[in-house]
Amino acid sequence: MNSLGTAGRQDAPLLELKGISKRFTGVRALDGVDLDVRAGELHVLFGENGAGKSTLINVISGSFPPDEGTFRFGGEEIHDLTPHRARAIGISPVFQEFSLVPSLSVEDNLFLGREIAAGGVLNARRMRKRARTLIDELGFDLDPSRRVDDLSRAHQQMTEIAKALLGRVRLLILDEPTASLTERETGRLFELIVKLKTEGVGLIYVSHRMREIRALADRVTVLRDGRHIRTLDAASASDGDLVELMTGRKIDVLFPAIPHAPGAVTLDVENLTTADGAVQGVNFHARAGEITGIAGLVGCGKSELVRAIYGIDAIVDGMVRLHGHSVEQSGPRESLRRGVAYFPANRVAEGLALSRPIRENSSMTALDLDRFARLGFLRPRAERRAISVVMERLKLRPPDIERNAGALSGGNRQKVMLGRALTRDLQVFLFDEPSVGIDVGAKVEVYEFMKHLVETGAAVVVVSSELPEVLALSNRLYVMHQGRIAAELSGDDKTEQNVLASFFQDHGREAA
Amino acid sequence: MSDAETSSDMALGATRELRSAVRRSLVQAALPIALLMLLLGFAIVDVRVLSPANLMNIAQQTGYLALFAMAQTVVILTRGFDLSLGPTVSAVSVGAALAMASGTSAHQGPSVILLLGLGAGFVLGAACGLFNGSVVALLGVNPFVATLGSYNIAIGIATTISGGRPVQGVPDVFTQLFYGGTLFGVPAVVIIALILGVILHIVLTRSVFGRSLYLIGTNPRAAMVAGLPVKRILVTTYLLCSGIAALGALMLTARTGSGEPNLGGSLSLQATAAAVIGGTSLAGGKGGVGTAVLGALFVTILSNGMNLVRIDGYVQMVVLGAIVIAGVVLDRARLEQR
Repeated sequence: MNSLGTAGRQDAPLLELKGISKRFTGVRALDGVDLDVRAGELHVLFGENGAGKSTLINVISGSFPPDEGTFRFGGEEIHDLTPHRARAIGISPVFQEFSLVPSLSVEDNLFLGREIAAGGVLNARRMRKRARTLIDELGFDLDPSRRVDDLSRAHQQMTEIAKALLGRVRLLILDEPTASLTERETGRLFELIVKLKTEGVGLIYVSHRMREIRALADRVTVLRDGRHIRTLDAASASDGDLVELMTGRKIDVLFPAIPHAPGAVTLDVENLTTADGAVQGVNFHARAGEITGIAGLVGCGKSELVRAIYGIDAIVDGMVRLHGHSVEQSGPRESLRRGVAYFPANRVAEGLALSRPIRENSSMTALDLDRFARLGFLRPRAERRAISVVMERLKLRPPDIERNAGALSGGNRQKVMLGRALTRDLQVFLFDEPSVGIDVGAKVEVYEFMKHLVETGAAVVVVSSELPEVLALSNRLYVMHQGRIAAELSGDDKTEQNVLASFFQDHGREAA
Repeated sequence: MSDAETSSDMALGATRELRSAVRRSLVQAALPIALLMLLLGFAIVDVRVLSPANLMNIAQQTGYLALFAMAQTVVILTRGFDLSLGPTVSAVSVGAALAMASGTSAHQGPSVILLLGLGAGFVLGAACGLFNGSVVALLGVNPFVATLGSYNIAIGIATTISGGRPVQGVPDVFTQLFYGGTLFGVPAVVIIALILGVILHIVLTRSVFGRSLYLIGTNPRAAMVAGLPVKRILVTTYLLCSGIAALGALMLTARTGSGEPNLGGSLSLQATAAAVIGGTSLAGGKGGVGTAVLGALFVTILSNGMNLVRIDGYVQMVVLGAIVIAGVVLDRARLEQR
């Protein structure tokens, strides 16, 4: 044992965790987890939400001290790691929850806590130059002087990545970094990752996306219920293997076959233009009994289109028709009454009241119904019963509807949102990035839910930046570019190539 | 060896859990404990604090403050704020007194005079609430700024219509009913505060409106996206707040026996202090009748005790200001535990 240890010293892994355990009041979040990451390796952490990935990367980056286990970095045993010390020794995390100060500029954020200064005076010019060089190196389309709260989520993500790479980095931790990036930005990030690997940087990469794992991973460690299940070579593991290890059950196909049966046009939009100009003269329709997809880059106006239909974003021109009758735009309340529901992309900001129970969050869109309230007074028993039934159908685990929505994982939060679809009579469902931030198991359940909606004859609209998702789910697919519809694809034309081509085709037409 | 390690480790984990559970319940129960210690502390200095007459006095004072704390709590639940609560009280007091005085000089019967007073008071209160609610909900002005504006407007109105002097002519029957009146020996204001507390509690916990207040306070954007009529609810909330404040103002006017243009002087601060120290979260979505009443009791015992042990009135203001800040800090400590 001892001799083995010294022999291995030469090419010791960059990071070596043994038997790491972490408990939170009564819950074992991590239970004897081993992990080793070599220099120049990309190591994927794979597992469902709640499997312990986040806890593990928080331990590695010094946010949570482990209760048990040994932690070696660069061959040295590390004790009492803090986030600050972790950065100092070259461990740099990029979390999903951003650590940026909204009111400061991008460059101020990059240098926050490590400003370049001489005698207490900030050297703004040097910091600006350094920030620009870094952002250029990364190839991000990012203006370092913009305030962070003026940036889109994608640009905030780029800032966060740039911030992580500013100092000397030996181990970079990326937690679903592509969740809000476009294909092109994702491509840039991947190039950067390859470059970092050749420079001997070790990477820990958390992602649910098989394609990324295929493209990048050297090894994959699967976690389930806080335990280390297995570490495999990425080259020798199939998608099916990974998903099976992750869930402990077999999932054959990620996307269910959806029995589209296009009926009458339920939702019809003519020459729609929004007040902020994000949507310009869009014609679009959705039929009952099919899924209509909308693809496009971040900022192309696809979200704004459905938000305008639902009544959140203001319309200045054009017409929305439901079942052939034109309707005045008058806000979410009226839309719900007309049978139109919207499921926002950002469930924390626009979806849930986190410190209120699941029950209240799910019944929120139906409080105007006699079913839940009579003469302005709630019917608590009826509400509890109805939401229990809904959550049982959606397989909420654990099935306790009195827990706060904030205590739930991403997948369960989306289920609380889906619960709203079952509390009132609806015909049009507008999904905005339905699978952002949820694990593979929950994704499958969301897709199955859409399938069920289509089967009951509803018109389902899916807006997504994940091309494979909209391609697989939709019967007809619109591609948006710079606020306009660039293409409408169906049947054999509905391919990734055609979608990507229409981004650029539209460019040409505009220039002409 | 590893066995022993695990078991000692488990024991360690168990004590840690126990300790955090104790700490949690300590923070939650901090106020009732502080209340009791406060009362006993004052009693050590002066035993009269616990005399039946003084306890009755505390109950009565708490009744008034609880009304105003409930009014403030309702808007704070929605992440709002009503700085103008005190001046609203002044305006209502002056307006009601003027209406009753004119009724008296027109030789109306006592019941007509009473109705005139109550009507004028509630109409004025409703006007203040509608104004605040419209500025906050429809024009989208920050509640703090909006009600800082109406604070000055209400003071201006109260001072102008009264000429800056107390308005005489409040009939004795008004005072006898709303100040001197008792039921089974319980003073009128305590009865009124109890009735209102019960009704408000039911509204907050059982009505769609009450549920909406909590949802809006927790996440206003999500409430809007989910189709709650946020603007309408906010206007109603400010209306309700000012309505309750008007009720309190009428009760106070009965006590002073005249319309006082500076009756509400420090009430905005006192009501906020009571709400916040009781555990109503300024971040919205947390609190209720219980927190308002508990906070009112605390602030009342504190000022009652300070009066009895002869602490200067201006020093009391310092204490009250400090309490608001302490309450917010305590609120944050509670939030962080979650």
